[in-house]
Amino acid sequence: MAIELTVNGARHSVEVAPETPLLWVIRDWLGLTGTKFSCGIAQCGACTVHIDGRPVRSCSVPVSTAVGRAVTTIEGLSADGTHPVQLAWIDLDVPQCGYCQSGMIMSVAALLSKRPNPTDKEIDAEITNACRCSTYHRIRKAIRLAASKMSTGGRDL
Amino acid sequence: MMINDDLGHAGLSRRDLLSTAAAATGALVIGFWMPQRASAQSMNPAGATWAVEPGVDEVNAWVVVAPDETVTIRIAQTELGQGVWTSNAMMVCEELQCDWSKVRPQYASANRDAREMAPEWTLHVMGKGATDPLGGGEPGFGRRDRIGSTGIPDSLYRRMRTNAAASVKDGRYYLQLAGAEARERLLLAAAKAWGVPVEEVSSANGVITHLPTGRTTTYGQVAPLAARTPHPNPKAIRIKPPSEWTLMGTERKNLDVPLKVTGKTIYGIDVKLPGMKWAAVKSCPVYGGKVKSYDFERIRSQPGVISAIEFPIPDPALIRERVFSGGVAVIADHWYQAKTALDMMPIEWDVPPKHAALNTANMRATLLAAMDKPGRVRTNLGDCDSAFPRGAKIVEATYSTPYLPRARMEPGNATVLVTDDRVDIWIGDQSPQETRYSASKITGIPEQNVYLHMCHLGGGFGRNGNGPQAEQSIYLANQNRGTPIHLLWTREEDFISTTYRAMGVARLRAALDADGWPIAIEVRTAMDGEAPGPDASFDKAPRYYAPNYRFSTHTAAFHIPVGTRRGVGHPAHDFYRESFMDELAHAAGKDPYLYRRELISRTNLPYKADMIKALDTAAEMSGWGTPLPKGMARAIALEERGAESGGHATISALVHTVSISKQGEVRLLRVDVAHEEGFSLVNPLSVRKQIEGQVAWFYNDAMYQECNVTEGRIAENNFDTFLLSRINEDPPEINITFFKTGHWLNGMGHDRCTSVQSGIADAIFQITGKRYRDLPFRNHDLTWS
Repeated sequence: MAIELTVNGARHSVEVAPETPLLWVIRDWLGLTGTKFSCGIAQCGACTVHIDGRPVRSCSVPVSTAVGRAVTTIEGLSADGTHPVQLAWIDLDVPQCGYCQSGMIMSVAALLSKRPNPTDKEIDAEITNACRCSTYHRIRKAIRLAASKMSTGGRDL
Repeated sequence: MMINDDLGHAGLSRRDLLSTAAAATGALVIGFWMPQRASAQSMNPAGATWAVEPGVDEVNAWVVVAPDETVTIRIAQTELGQGVWTSNAMMVCEELQCDWSKVRPQYASANRDAREMAPEWTLHVMGKGATDPLGGGEPGFGRRDRIGSTGIPDSLYRRMRTNAAASVKDGRYYLQLAGAEARERLLLAAAKAWGVPVEEVSSANGVITHLPTGRTTTYGQVAPLAARTPHPNPKAIRIKPPSEWTLMGTERKNLDVPLKVTGKTIYGIDVKLPGMKWAAVKSCPVYGGKVKSYDFERIRSQPGVISAIEFPIPDPALIRERVFSGGVAVIADHWYQAKTALDMMPIEWDVPPKHAALNTANMRATLLAAMDKPGRVRTNLGDCDSAFPRGAKIVEATYSTPYLPRARMEPGNATVLVTDDRVDIWIGDQSPQETRYSASKITGIPEQNVYLHMCHLGGGFGRNGNGPQAEQSIYLANQNRGTPIHLLWTREEDFISTTYRAMGVARLRAALDADGWPIAIEVRTAMDGEAPGPDASFDKAPRYYAPNYRFSTHTAAFHIPVGTRRGVGHPAHDFYRESFMDELAHAAGKDPYLYRRELISRTNLPYKADMIKALDTAAEMSGWGTPLPKGMARAIALEERGAESGGHATISALVHTVSISKQGEVRLLRVDVAHEEGFSLVNPLSVRKQIEGQVAWFYNDAMYQECNVTEGRIAENNFDTFLLSRINEDPPEINITFFKTGHWLNGMGHDRCTSVQSGIADAIFQITGKRYRDLPFRNHDLTWS
């Protein structure tokens, strides 16, 4: 059956079983490969995308649950890679292998849209993505930097 | 999007591929065609990293300068997060004197490496018996080895493997030389064009100046002429020592980062070809096992399913003699279809009963018993047997460490197309020369016709798992000639098809004199006889002085394939050694920092001053000796590789500040790192990032990670049981101080911060009074009152 999806503002009609995880529809049917597969059991968060602005682990969400809702992937976070979180990630040279960073950035973007200036405790509670290179030290600094970029309308302090 | 491949044709007709590609909307589709040379670069999508035919003639095999002054630098090592994409480019650019902002790295072609021999001038650098004019020994690749498994070939790019923290250490000589050769030829070309002596021209930032007249030109303008201007005397090329570096030694952001924050980087998993099919596989979970039967009929009609293919145990000769398992693959239009169908397909395994009888407990018992047998004595100084009875106090401790996989984030995968005369492989791979050899052996197609299209890796942590992802993929594609097959392992399969750091045990004994100083130390370790790095941390001399010293290694033979996980032998051995030093200091009633300091100062090790400097610096940074609240403790440790050698070495010392709640919750609060930079680091920013990451890596090893063997199979196989720490456990404070020493570094990036393990062990002891010697600590009661 055809599934109607809106991803990054574009509408798609995909012939796919409705229980197929959203991740695989995004990656394999729509060809948006910035969202990554790693554990397949919603543990690591490499597959994090937004549904209606909220972060979800797309490897464990059936595509049918995204019908009628807005899906955003790393490719749609900004048109040109200039979301404040992406800029902060570049400024502090956060990624190492980079494989988890799409999901990490999507989780952080969702957090900052809800909590523009999160406490350390809020960061600890909300950013539960795993990074095997363990770039956490720079991630925390980059979250702070992104928060300050957002509060100043994108200007560096 | 269509892009070209390495050198063109692939056996399929261009029309076939273009029409298939056009039908795939939105996807990154990699096609094969032979564009006009000038358009080749522009057809390469932003996130692709593999070698492409340049639009202009190269200056040499490492350097291409385009008319717009863009400088492509070919990188023969693989970027897996360690920063080699940037540091290798820095080493070429330092000598080339081009504009760093114009540098575009690209993987070197492993296919060309099969067709061309190394330029003669690269054979006279370190590794062919030359010695380092600045001291510090020679790189470890002196031995010639055609496939690059254990040594270095004389083929074009020489050492293409990425391992042993050696990319900078070994590559520096010929990468600097390559940059210097290219620069001198660009200058010769400019001089020729102007009709002036080459002594009158000079260059900086890619601009060439005729000094007497001030006339200028650019690298881009003279590159075509430079490509036709051989160097008259390449043996005379001299590379800059660290004192002359201007780019190397400065902090440079990693060139791969911008594409990694937009999701555009193409990892192996992201590759999609016209007509490509996906493979999901299951291998026998007990190593050495194979398929007894499977029932494809049960899944034949599932959506997208095309076929099932049984594959044999991959030829151990292609995978450093490691024995994995046979298995079965399901091929389908989409990977999720293949995986779903495979999960539904009945499979019976043929399991070797001898292997199925093994489990963690009986394997550990075998290792412990091995330490009571003679073993191989590697170092024997003085006479331990006569010294021990003279000890005023005997301290003995037995430690253990579990099997550990790398668990990189990107599961193993590769895309392979085999046609009758050619193999194409898209893969993130740390040993492309070995994979090229495997492809040739499996398909019968000569290595000169094997094309590897290299992708960045989603983590490596030790030769990308050493597993047979390429060999399985090539086998499946060879059975489906003409169809590109993309094999992707599930996370669970990635745990099966990887090598492990070997489970290990160690027994350390010391006889202390009446003042608490060791008069004899005896070290016994035991692990699988195939495990790499048995000599780490203990060989040749005790790092902490003891007049009588004996080190023996003991082995057992198990079926779990073992390999070079991050740090190889050092992480486990450092845990044993530094934990034991803490135990001796406590037994002697002495401060663990000053105890270590005194024992190192009593040695005649070549780098003892550097080790003392590291300890002193870390202690001072941490506020060592200042009071801490109850429930908090500091622990110090030395980390070194090669300190006994007088050659390359890497030395650091760390202080870990740890808190433990009465409920037993451990928190690593602060890590103070004193790390040497030798003569100079190449990119100190990359080193900082590596250190920060390795703190958490070894925190995981200390606290959480283990793989147990149950009925011959690895029990933990996903991140619900094999635990990864998150940001909430990252230390709030990591302080790093670099200090210069007078030798070359023995690499950086895999065996640092191992002391998180002994540090937490000693903090547990100081706070709770309990001494635990078996990793990980989550298995132990850490509460106190």
